[in-house]
Amino acid sequence: MSDPILVLAHIDETSQINIGAREALGFAQNLSENTGRPVECGLIGADNSSATAEVTELGATKVYTIEDSLLARFSGDNMVSAAAHIVSSSGARIVLIGRHPSTLEFIPRLSRRIDGTCVMNVTRIETINEQYTEIEAAVYGGAARALYQIDSTSPVVVGLRPAAAEAPTPHPENSSDIVELNLELLADRVRVITEATADEGPRLENAEIVVSGGRGLQNAENFALVRELANLLKGMPGASRAIVDEYWAPPTEQIGLTGTTVAPALYVAAGISGASQHMAGCSNARLIVAINSDPDAPIFKYADVGIIDDCLAVLPELIELLR
Amino acid sequence: MHILVAAKQVLDPDGINSYALWGRLEVSEDGLGFNTGATVPQIINAYDEQAMEAALQIAEVQEGTRVTAVTVGSDTAPDVLKRCYAMGAENTIHVHDDEKQSGNPFRISQILATVAKNLGDVDLILCGRQGSDYDQGAVPAILSEDLGMPFITMASQINFDEQTQSLHVDVVTPNGPETLACNLPAVVAVSNEIGQPRYPSSRRMIQSRRNPPTVFRADELLPGPATEKMSIKLLTVPEVQGNCEIIEGVDPKEKAKHLLQILRERGDLNV
Ligand SMILES: Cc1cc2nc3c(=O)[nH]c(=O)nc-3n(C[C@H](O)[C@H](O)[C@H](O)COP(=O)(O)OP(=O)(O)OC[C@H]3O[C@@H](n4cnc5c(N)ncnc54)[C@H](O)[C@@H]3O)c2cc1C
Repeated sequence: MSDPILVLAHIDETSQINIGAREALGFAQNLSENTGRPVECGLIGADNSSATAEVTELGATKVYTIEDSLLARFSGDNMVSAAAHIVSSSGARIVLIGRHPSTLEFIPRLSRRIDGTCVMNVTRIETINEQYTEIEAAVYGGAARALYQIDSTSPVVVGLRPAAAEAPTPHPENSSDIVELNLELLADRVRVITEATADEGPRLENAEIVVSGGRGLQNAENFALVRELANLLKGMPGASRAIVDEYWAPPTEQIGLTGTTVAPALYVAAGISGASQHMAGCSNARLIVAINSDPDAPIFKYADVGIIDDCLAVLPELIELLR
Repeated sequence: MHILVAAKQVLDPDGINSYALWGRLEVSEDGLGFNTGATVPQIINAYDEQAMEAALQIAEVQEGTRVTAVTVGSDTAPDVLKRCYAMGAENTIHVHDDEKQSGNPFRISQILATVAKNLGDVDLILCGRQGSDYDQGAVPAILSEDLGMPFITMASQINFDEQTQSLHVDVVTPNGPETLACNLPAVVAVSNEIGQPRYPSSRRMIQSRRNPPTVFRADELLPGPATEKMSIKLLTVPEVQGNCEIIEGVDPKEKAKHLLQILRERGDLNV
């Protein structure tokens, strides 16, 4: 049986595929090696030409593309219609989607539209046979895993957990069949009144160094210590949800399951306890440094290097030394 | 306006976290729960409580707004409805369903869609953005498809705009806040950025006993034999391997020095 493994990606105004799509192609490749199914890719965006070349290098043997200027910004209604069109054209029963801010809407809606199923935060696909597919997902913030058993006769849309796989090595000599599909787009039922514009500056998810603070900072003013240390290290500041809820830091700086996922070379966690939901966003850092006054704080289970002390005393010393 | 709030019961995530962090989280014999007993209480999913709060905020400014709360779950689930009632819901609905089905968002959505259709006059359905148990966040979006309604998630503020007779929803995005709009009826999923939910009134908490939920059985509300396309077979707990080098030092200054030394010696960091 060789219905394909289909990776779907939205191409925004950068015209590039994002990290989530690259991880999904890596996941697809591993699955393809185990099952003999070909890897195909569906691209939805305003200009997919360079992304088409990129996914071909990363292993897609066939690329479906739907292009329209209306698709540069994620539009739920049109994205779901476009994706459903691609899934039915490809005949895929395994559809993979990597991390992207839209997945909370896109994946479940798509799965319903194609009369299939979906699983989010997927870590592994264990079994695929004619009757059922077994898929493992991170649940309870990452503290547990659930094995889902899913009917194989309809497509399953799989939302991958960040870093569920590594991006494949590009092969510039690869080639692919390109299938251009058309779709009549409609005005989205959801209208944009004011749009957030991405900062031109560096992005948290790409930062090489992240310094994060949690409730151990004691108050909003002390978050300045985190910002200053991040600055001196040429990194970016991050926060636990506890202090975002307290308005000490903006939601855009939240690290974790329901915030941004980072994978920096260095992650410094000051006054953060290490709840699974927080660690879901940073456990792929190459080096984790924890500063916490409680020697029993769970963060020390995840950290590579630890300082057991008051972060309000340690952070100023680090700042002083780096100035 | 008639607002339907969907809320579910979950094991207190803070309790599960403490068990997990001390390496004591164990899966129960049937493979579908944990051996935490009564030490980890069943509570209302926090995002759903925030959805309830959002509904009440709309009701405060929008005259004639009614809020109905619905939950799908087994015997203990009505506790969630008591809380919603005490916060200010007028009516509550309990759809009794087997706990084992809770991992199938398509089933839950179908049930909720039937509840909404049977009520007949629902203008807005509010849900939490995800359950803190399975973290799937699938039900609200599936529900919008089941009902053919527009969908907005990650809401941090919801207003009804009189002038355009449409819903204005502030949402959280990685690039910062945005405002979106859509016509009613709609499904909106609420995030924690909406703020602390109000405390339930103790007077209404007591009254909730005299105002029990309307109860349905799931199979009464599902069209034909329920499609069982997916289910959770087994929960497992991954092990966390601790291997942390604790930095020595007489005071914070010395520890800070040692840390920088270690970071610099690695050579792969530009510090
Ligand atoms: C569905 C769901 C999603 C969630 N998503 C996220 C998410 O995306 N990101 C996230 O971060 N959380 C998330 N959470 C919340 C998470 O479970 C924790 O509650 C949160 O991460 C705790 O933040 P904290 O570590 O700052 O605070 P706390 O847990 O209160 O920890 C504070 C720590 O600071 C230490 N401390 C105190 N004083 C000092 C001092 N002077 N110096 C040094 N250390 C000190 C304490 O020992 C403690 O370890 C989520 C929860 C749920 C249920």
